[in-house]
Amino acid sequence: MALDYRKWAEEISANIGGGANVISAAHCATRLRLVIADNSKVNKAALENVDGVKGMFESNGQLQLIIGTGTVNKVYDEFLAVTGVSAATKADVKAAAASKMPLWKKILKTPGDIFVPILPAIVASGLMMGIIEAIPKFWPAFGNSDWYSFLDLIANTAFALLPVLVAVSAAKVFGGNIFLGAVIGLLMVHPALINAWNVAGLEEIPTWHLFFFNVQQVGYQGHVIPVILAVYLMSHLEKLLHKVVPEMIDLFVTPLVTVLITGFVTFTIIGPIFAQLETWVLAGAEWLAGSLIGAVVMGAIYPLTVVMGLHHMYNVIEAGMIANTGLNTWMPIATAANIAQFGACLAVAIKVKNKKTKSVALPSSLSASLGITEPAIFGINLRFMKPFICGMIGGAVGAFFGALFGLGAPVYGVTGIPALPAVNNTLLYIVEMLISAGVAFVLTWFIWKEEKPEEKAVVETDGAAVEVGEITAKSVIRCSAGEVLQPVKGNVIARESIPDETFASGVLGDGVGIEPEDEVVTAPFDGTVTSVAESHHAVGVEANGMEMLIHVGVDTVNMNGDGFECLVAEGDAVKAGQPLIRFDREKIKAAGYSDTVAVLLTNSDDFEDVECGLK
Amino acid sequence: MKEFSYTITDPVGIHARPAGILVKEIKKYSSVVTVIKGEKSVNALKLMALMGMGIKQGDTVKVTVEGADEETAAAEIEAFFKANL
Repeated sequence: MALDYRKWAEEISANIGGGANVISAAHCATRLRLVIADNSKVNKAALENVDGVKGMFESNGQLQLIIGTGTVNKVYDEFLAVTGVSAATKADVKAAAASKMPLWKKILKTPGDIFVPILPAIVASGLMMGIIEAIPKFWPAFGNSDWYSFLDLIANTAFALLPVLVAVSAAKVFGGNIFLGAVIGLLMVHPALINAWNVAGLEEIPTWHLFFFNVQQVGYQGHVIPVILAVYLMSHLEKLLHKVVPEMIDLFVTPLVTVLITGFVTFTIIGPIFAQLETWVLAGAEWLAGSLIGAVVMGAIYPLTVVMGLHHMYNVIEAGMIANTGLNTWMPIATAANIAQFGACLAVAIKVKNKKTKSVALPSSLSASLGITEPAIFGINLRFMKPFICGMIGGAVGAFFGALFGLGAPVYGVTGIPALPAVNNTLLYIVEMLISAGVAFVLTWFIWKEEKPEEKAVVETDGAAVEVGEITAKSVIRCSAGEVLQPVKGNVIARESIPDETFASGVLGDGVGIEPEDEVVTAPFDGTVTSVAESHHAVGVEANGMEMLIHVGVDTVNMNGDGFECLVAEGDAVKAGQPLIRFDREKIKAAGYSDTVAVLLTNSDDFEDVECGLK
Repeated sequence: MKEFSYTITDPVGIHARPAGILVKEIKKYSSVVTVIKGEKSVNALKLMALMGMGIKQGDTVKVTVEGADEETAAAEIEAFFKANL
C-alpha cells in the first residue's frame, strides 16, 4: 500500500508541474490543499484520473484534491518527499493564496510575518534582559554575582542567537526547508566567527581570501535583514534545485548545493554590502548626533536602523563620545527613539480589541521601555505601520528636547529607564522620556485604527439582524456565510473523533461532534428547518446557504423514534437557540448506541473557509 | 435522459449514511441526477433535500440521469442503488 501512496503523490506532482510549481501544500482531514504558482501547468483531467484522487476542485487560489481520511496524510507525506515542498499549515496555504497585495506592501509585511511566530521567544528574553541588565545600574554588587551572569545567560540567549530564530521562521515564510534555514542561521552566528558586537573594538579583523573576495570573519549577531535575505536566497535556490536536479540524487545534491551557495553568497555579497552600509550609517549617525537638527533626524530614523539591524554599531559612537568629551550625548537620542516606540506600542496595547494582538503588545511595550525594542517594533509597530511612524515622530521630538538641554551620560550601552541613574540631569531625562512616549502614544491613539478582519465584518453585518442578546452558546463551525452555534451543551470533539465512520470521514460534510451533557438540541442559527427525520433523531436547518445536519447519536435511526421528540416541522422558521429536538440519553445508552451528536455542515465543500471547533 | 425505478431495501431508507454515500457516488458523474418519490423530486446532490424526502424501506423511487455521461452514469448508479440501498 505504501507504494501506492508514493505512486499517487508522484502522479499528482507530475500533473501539477512538479514541486517547483507548488507555492505551498497543506492537508485537512480529507483534502490535499495546494497553492499553485502557474495554473496552466495543471493537467486537471489527468489529476482526476489519479487513483487516489476522489475528486478535485479549485477555490480561492487553492487546488483541493479529495483523497480521504487516513489516506490524505500519507499521500501528503509522500507528496512532500516527492516534490521537496516544505510542510505548511492550513493557515499558511490560506496566506499564500491571499498574497495578491502589491510588492512594496509584501516587502514591508515580510519582517512582521517572520517575527510574529518567534515573538514568544524574544518577548520573554527582551523583558528578562531589560530587567536583569537594569538591576546592576541601581545595585552594582548584583552585577558581579553568579546569579547575574547566570540569569543574563538565559535572558540573552534568544538575542545573542537571534539570527537562528529569524532564519528558521524565514525559511517557513519563504517555503524553504526549515532545517536548512536553521543551518544558514547557525552559520551566520558560528562561534568560530568574531561576534559582531565585539568587532568594533578590534584593530584588525581576520579575513579570508576567497577568489577575489576578501571576507571578514565576522558573525551576524543582532542582524535581521541580512539573515532574511540569505534565507530568501536559500529558499528560492532550494526550490529551483528541486526542479532541475534528477530525483535520484536530489536528496543529497540539493541541500548540499543550497547551503554551499547560500553560505558563499551570504559572506561574499550580502555581508559586505551590509558592512559597507553599517560604515556609512555609523559615519552619518556620528555626524548627525553632533547638531540639534541632526539629533532630531536621528531620533526619527533610529528605529529604521534597528529594523536594518545596524544599531549594534552605535556602541562605537558612544564610546568615542566618552573618550572625547566624557559625555555620551548619543544615549538620549536612542532613548527618545526607543521610548517613543514603547509609547506607540503601549497605545496599540490599550486600544486594540483583538486579544492576541493585545497579549503581544503589552509585554512588547514593557520590554521596549527597558530598551529592548525589537519585540515592539517587529511584533506590533512595524506590522501596523502607523504606530511605527508615530513612534518615529515621538523619537524626533524627544531627541530635540534632549539635545536642546544637552542631556547625556558618562556610560554607554544602555538606554531608556535603566539609564536613569547615570544621566547628568535626572529630571530633564524623565521629561524627555515622557515627551517621547507621550507624543508617540497620543499620535498612535488618534491616527491608528484597528483593521477588522473581513470575515468578522460579515458576521457583524449578519449579526445586526439577529438578536444575539440572550444566546450564550459559542460557535462550533465558522465560514464566510456565518457561524454555527453549539446546538447541544457538552464536550465538543473533532469530527474525526465521532464514533461513526460515515460522520468521521466527512462524507456528510465537515463539522464537529458533541458528547452531550444536556438532552435538548437547539437551533444553531436563525434559519429554516429543511428536514426532520421520520424517527425524530435528526434535523436539518438551513440559513444563508449553509445546510446543517444535526444528528443525535450513532445508529439511533434504529430506535425508530423511541426516546426522541421533535419540536419543529419541516419548513418552520427557527431562531438561534430555539429547541428543536428533545432526546433521552438513558434510552440511547440502553439501546447500546453512542449518544454523540454530529453537527455537520453538509455542503461544507461550497465554502472555502470552513473552520471547525469551539470558539 | 435515462431513468430507472428502484424499491428501497435498506431498513433505514435513504437516511444520513446511505444518503451520504449516494451523494458521494453521484458526484463522480457530470450528469444531473434527480430522485423522484411521488410528487416530490430532488437533485440527488443535495444531501439535506435528499434526506428530507423521508424515503423509507419499501418506497419506490424513480431516478433520472441527464447529461453527457448519462449512459454510463445511469447504469453505474442503478448498480449502486441495488448494492447499497
